[in-house]
Amino acid sequence: MFWQDPQFGNKLITLMAALVLVLQILMVAQRWLVTNIRAFGIQSFLLGCIAVTIAYFNHAPQIYLVAALTLVFKAVVLPIVLERLVTKIGIRQEIEPLVNVPISVIVSGLLTLLAYVVAESFREPAETTGPSNLGHNTLAVALSLFLIGFFMMVNRRKALTQVLGFLCLENGLFLAAISLTYGMPLLVELGIFFDLLVAVMVLGILVYRIRETFDSMDVSKLSRLRG
Amino acid sequence: MAVFIQIALVLFLSPLITGFSRTLKARLQARRGAGVFQPYRDLYKLLRKGMVIPDSASWIFSATPYVLFVTTLLAGLLIPAISATAPLSLFGGVLAVVYLLALGRFFLALGGLDAGSPFGGLGSSREMTISAIAEPALMLAVFTVAIGAGSTNLSSVAQAALGQSWHFLSPQQMLAFAALFIVLIAETGRIPVDNPATHLELTMIHEAMILEYSGPYLALIEWSAAMKQLVLMTLLVNVFFPFGLSAGWDPASIVLSLALFGGKLLLLATVVVLVETTNAKLRLFRVPELLAVAFVLSAMALISTFLF
Repeated sequence: MFWQDPQFGNKLITLMAALVLVLQILMVAQRWLVTNIRAFGIQSFLLGCIAVTIAYFNHAPQIYLVAALTLVFKAVVLPIVLERLVTKIGIRQEIEPLVNVPISVIVSGLLTLLAYVVAESFREPAETTGPSNLGHNTLAVALSLFLIGFFMMVNRRKALTQVLGFLCLENGLFLAAISLTYGMPLLVELGIFFDLLVAVMVLGILVYRIRETFDSMDVSKLSRLRG
Repeated sequence: MAVFIQIALVLFLSPLITGFSRTLKARLQARRGAGVFQPYRDLYKLLRKGMVIPDSASWIFSATPYVLFVTTLLAGLLIPAISATAPLSLFGGVLAVVYLLALGRFFLALGGLDAGSPFGGLGSSREMTISAIAEPALMLAVFTVAIGAGSTNLSSVAQAALGQSWHFLSPQQMLAFAALFIVLIAETGRIPVDNPATHLELTMIHEAMILEYSGPYLALIEWSAAMKQLVLMTLLVNVFFPFGLSAGWDPASIVLSLALFGGKLLLLATVVVLVETTNAKLRLFRVPELLAVAFVLSAMALISTFLF
């Protein structure tokens, strides 16, 4: 059947990776914080699906576990936690990037190009695809998620939106790990997950504190000491 | 024969698509709406009316509706609608389609300026601002598809697309489709960019240009707008989802592919209407941001053609 053909799996994975990239660009372009958080949720959901596809074609049960963790934590729990945080601190919804939106979008396009150029040397022709090298060609997407995530962190003023950039960066790492090596050892993977969860919790509390103390989440105001 | 079928199709199907999306939009907003055939009645009514032509208008004002109508119809003959070979495919490929539409738009902008009313100039400048960004996105997306098929002739593109399985699953196709979808919304003046249902609103774009037109001229312009929408939608559905295109022009397969083509168009129109009803209109200065997204998406599509 065609769904057992590795070629088909490869197509499916590249397609989902492309969707992930589209979502990333939309997150750079989108001004509303809640929409951004939901886009992150959908992106994580797609990453989970990529992991499921790779697990299915390689008959690797531990990747199913990783995929399930991604689907539960990154696609559902984290977005809910972040949205709660947004309503709790009642900030203005609009993100104010340092560089204006069209230029940021073009910069992310250039970063994608850079990622493609870097990943070019690792590329394998699609014809030789077997189950073991499924999704190798998504390395470029993973790298560009990483770079654009960095760019989002640098480009945004508010602490919460920087957290979001960090999460995108982590999504890029996850994609690279899952597509190149079929996931790191399970223990490492679990460790990263709980790290991430705790990091978001801590950052959430930190954001809340910044908001309480400075009446703003603009991190550029953190340069002065206050008693 | 093929030419006549496609002329009839482009001419008489286009108001139906417009009417369908208006009715569906009204239903989604819990209104009854005017019925699917209202655009035909509007065109008939306008064609019988007299005209008012501004004193300051030159020949450009009167030439514009004809130029617009003819260029749009010609563009409609260059793209494969129900058969994989378009009737006039020997005369030009996708570049001809894009620039025929651009010629019509150029004259429309001139016509808007020519009438001498401040609204016309405002509409023209806005239309040109938007199309200056939408056009590169359109071209890059189309080139992506053309590289995949090895030809810029739309008939060969459609035939190449027909021969591939899992065709839609490739990422460059999807990126190009996303970019073209945004371009479609911008070019047909749909809601995140422009509101087709308003007159005399400060944010209008298309309506501002044609404010001075009346009677048969207005009918021609409205009809061209509907045809342009049909042309762009056909480009989207047939280049990316080519199944159902018949190989030749024999009657039996034509009827079947006509039904499939209608179904695909209605589906795309439904998606556009859903986008329209769930989004608010963007402020004019935010429109370039949306188009920048389309541009970057199509640029990425072009890049990934060489890399995936």
